[in-house]
Amino acid sequence: MLEMELELQILWAAVTAYVLAGIVAVVGVVLGKKPERSVLALMLAGLSLQTISIGLRWDRLGHGPFITMFEILCSNVWSLMTAYILAYWRIRRIRATAAVVMPIMFIMLGWLMVAHPGEGHYPPTYNTPWLYIHIGLGKVFLGAVLVAVGLSCIILMRHAGLGRQRLAQLPASPQLDELAFRCMAIGLIFHTLMLIAGAIWAQDAWGRYWAWDPLETWAFITWLTVAFTIHARLAYRLSPPVHAGLILAVFVTAFLTFFGVPFVSVAPHQGAV
Amino acid sequence: MLSVVKEERAARRAAGARLLRLAASLRLTLALIALLGFGVAFAYLREDARTWPLVVPLILLAFNLLAAVLTNGVFRRQTALLVFHLALIVLLLLVAAGRLSYLTGYVGVTEGVPFDGTLAESQRGPLHAGDIAQVRFVNKGFSIDYAPGLQRGATRNAVAWSEGNGRWHEEMIGDQTPLVLSGYRFYTTFNKGFALTFLWRDAHGNDFLGSVQLPPYPLKEYSQAAAWSPPGSTLSIWVMLDIDEVLLDPAEHTSFRLPERYKLIVRIGDDRHELRPGDSLQTAEGTLEFEGLRNWMGYRVFYDWTLPWLLAACAVAVASLGAHFWLKFSARPWDA
Repeated sequence: MLEMELELQILWAAVTAYVLAGIVAVVGVVLGKKPERSVLALMLAGLSLQTISIGLRWDRLGHGPFITMFEILCSNVWSLMTAYILAYWRIRRIRATAAVVMPIMFIMLGWLMVAHPGEGHYPPTYNTPWLYIHIGLGKVFLGAVLVAVGLSCIILMRHAGLGRQRLAQLPASPQLDELAFRCMAIGLIFHTLMLIAGAIWAQDAWGRYWAWDPLETWAFITWLTVAFTIHARLAYRLSPPVHAGLILAVFVTAFLTFFGVPFVSVAPHQGAV
Repeated sequence: MLSVVKEERAARRAAGARLLRLAASLRLTLALIALLGFGVAFAYLREDARTWPLVVPLILLAFNLLAAVLTNGVFRRQTALLVFHLALIVLLLLVAAGRLSYLTGYVGVTEGVPFDGTLAESQRGPLHAGDIAQVRFVNKGFSIDYAPGLQRGATRNAVAWSEGNGRWHEEMIGDQTPLVLSGYRFYTTFNKGFALTFLWRDAHGNDFLGSVQLPPYPLKEYSQAAAWSPPGSTLSIWVMLDIDEVLLDPAEHTSFRLPERYKLIVRIGDDRHELRPGDSLQTAEGTLEFEGLRNWMGYRVFYDWTLPWLLAACAVAVASLGAHFWLKFSARPWDA
């Protein structure tokens, strides 16, 4: 019990660091300043603390954060932050997107804080390396889509005439659109790999590689939305705002698939992304 | 006259080429992806209509892909993209072949009693060519540990099978590891329980040794009963296992095991009997001897020869798509 309290206290500290990073990023854009080092330092501090919290829980329970809603949210906050910090660190010109991405993360952080941190049963079918591969690939997919969502929100805000001056420090919308497209391409590859790894795991665990259970069905629908978005941009030479709208639709579908379906499904494949 | 025929042929060829280009349209691909999405959603909502909402858009997509590969010059300039689309076509063909020749089924096998090639339930594609009737193996017992709250741990099931030369092999299967015989994959399931073994001697003195599997345990802990008829008999025999001990204590770490304190209630018509191992019962059509209790394990059976080819096609598709994007993106920076 004491161990769990320590894990939660460290997690709270991580959440505080993330929230501060978001606030500094938003204030920076509003005031037309570039507090990039502070934002990066706060995000890295949050990530380090959260890594410790997850590591302690993993050590205590003997399995990764794959079972309960609390664990799934926590591990996804961690992977999304890792993906975004990488993008933030490597692509300096898009750092102002933190003012959009971090508030999106606040939703998940808020949900995480009200989720019950109790432990769940780790089924024997989860005891395979394919689980880690499947989940890891899914997290890369969602991370790539999150970066694309941040870029898309900027495009849509500009299109709606919101904060044009304040967002001027970012590259032009066609360039953001191209980068978002590349993120979606990465997302498509990793989502495909996630489906393949999941099929291998399902074949071993339940004796069938595909059974159209709710999570599989929604994961495939998500894949189709990604493929549709990429094809639509190529076939119709979509304008940046339309492409951005489609990317948001992909994110919503993926969000429902990853965080909604596993908890309304009664199939053996309860979801562990 | 000759020139008119030539013109007609040329017109037909041009019309054909136009049709092929239309079929190859990228916009059609988009519409078909959307159609497949609706098909998936429809099949998900209507369990009884799972085939055509998926098959129709998939066939159309296959034609669209094939037409695009044949007519679109992009594929001749970009090899990786061509390989990706060819791999998608192969994938679709393999899935179709798999659906035509698959088999899925279920069977419960009593410990020590050889599987005789008969499945309790099965579904198979119209072109299934495997011969499950020739498959034989023996369930040699299993162990399952439970954590408090009856949380099931790993299943370890010993199985044995013989090769054509009479040599026997043993293997431990369970959870992630199936038994694979003649392409049929046998997976342990959470269904397992107790089986009553009987010796039935009919009126002509013929002996039959067999087992009656009771409902899964602990899933149906309070309905450990079954009705059956001995071979060649019209008798309807109802049996119930009355267990007089706690086998799986939800408060403790425990393991699946056979009960030690139990009695067997047998009802034939209005007559009620209690049997223990070794007891016999004389009936109007023969003698029933209760030999004792054994375990049974439920196996999910799966056959699909396309599995390794599907994996290979998927690997080629992803690798070529990755290569295509890599070449495309590395040629020009995103902010150029």
